Amino acid sequence: MFGKRIGESDVLRALRQVVDPDLHRDIVSLGFVKNLKIEDSVVSFDINLTTPACPVRERMREEARRAVAQLEGVREVRVNLTAEVRPHVGLDRSGLAGVRNIVAIGSGKGGVGKSTVAVNLAATLRTSGARVGLLDADIYGPAVPIMLGHRQQAEVRENRIVPAEHHGLRFISMGLFVPGDKPLIWRGPMAHKALQQCLFDVEWGELDYLLVDLPPGTGDVHLTLAQSVPVTGAVIVSTPQDVGLVISMKTLRMFQQTNIPILGIVENMSYYVCSHCGAREEIFGHGGARRASEELGVPFLGEIPIDVRIRRQADTGTPIVLADPESPAAQAYRAIAEQLAAQISIVNYQMTPLRIEEVST
Amino acid sequence: MNARASVRPQAIKKIGASEIHILWSDGHASTYRASYLRRHCRCALCVDELTGRSVLAPETIPDELTIVSVELVGQYALHFQWSDGHSTGIYPFAQLRALCPCEHCVSALSSAAPLT
Repeated sequence: MFGKRIGESDVLRALRQVVDPDLHRDIVSLGFVKNLKIEDSVVSFDINLTTPACPVRERMREEARRAVAQLEGVREVRVNLTAEVRPHVGLDRSGLAGVRNIVAIGSGKGGVGKSTVAVNLAATLRTSGARVGLLDADIYGPAVPIMLGHRQQAEVRENRIVPAEHHGLRFISMGLFVPGDKPLIWRGPMAHKALQQCLFDVEWGELDYLLVDLPPGTGDVHLTLAQSVPVTGAVIVSTPQDVGLVISMKTLRMFQQTNIPILGIVENMSYYVCSHCGAREEIFGHGGARRASEELGVPFLGEIPIDVRIRRQADTGTPIVLADPESPAAQAYRAIAEQLAAQISIVNYQMTPLRIEEVST
Repeated sequence: MNARASVRPQAIKKIGASEIHILWSDGHASTYRASYLRRHCRCALCVDELTGRSVLAPETIPDELTIVSVELVGQYALHFQWSDGHSTGIYPFAQLRALCPCEHCVSALSSAAPLT
């Protein structure tokens, strides 16, 4: 039995049984299998996933291992998981040349915790191994510098803006351009110019995901983003309350009108678990965002509880997902970040590149 | 309603200096002349913002108008620079599809209720 030689084609045939549940194709035809080596009766290979935050990575590893282990003559299977975030089509403008995906984070109204969600999702994706940037485009209430504990002015080198870096995240905030207590009072064209600068004049370098924390509602900044760059997709943050949801729908429709795919809805402040007795209170109601996403046919990414530690960590500059990775809130964020990463991979897989071809007559 | 299932262009071609050809994801194909698109410009200079009425006199646009440049706006629209110097219009794909001048689309439109 040990004398039988295993061929590459045998291994690949076995691996064709392993199907990516999001992309609905087998991992061999998706080109995920790399560095296949067969030494005596030991088979080793990489599975190159579309995101390090893949929610089903361990399941795929196990399925692949089992499929190959069944082959006659195989004594040991070594599966190494790697990840390479695929770039969204058409992203190659100046400072954004190394940015693979731009993800907009929006909400219908203010105060739903959009920035907190954006910061924690960014930090979670970073922890998974992805390279992540955060653009705080909320000109009316730039909160990201506070939440990341870094309030220094952005540095300018040779006419290029160097993003701040903290907790492994590169970020730029409109808030970094003005001193702490001064309000930012801008007309539309100024907001337009400022966002374009933050996109194109910043040395973002190589990023798998650039999250853009938008102002609440729909306005100049949203339109500028939709018109300036091919956005991979948008996340809508909502509270469970219907009134919040009705307004969120307007934001959602705006993204749809500009052909930006909706990656999903996040329900924030979903419920409260009493720190004394453990009882669960659904302060703003519960499940409204899930119901709305089902009706609209857009993915529901998950729900985040109200937790005083989320707020406290945001105020002190270390997001809860970094300060206490095992807390229920951090676990909720991890699940949402993984769903989000999966949706981004799906959009990139389905999207055909759009360009204008010039034909002479 | 599925958020991702809207008709979108699959291929966009600029043919010569004065024609745009779009193949749509549902298989339909549209060909537009530059002067036709220019006459349907919806920008604030060509359409009164309050009344929505067109303030552009179509006969002032020459038939031989050409496209100086055309580029994508994000992933939802086209932006043109025309040979008469005008360049403020943005043409969302949904509007371009509605403007398709092919016989089939035009007859479907004229048999429906008149547009206001």
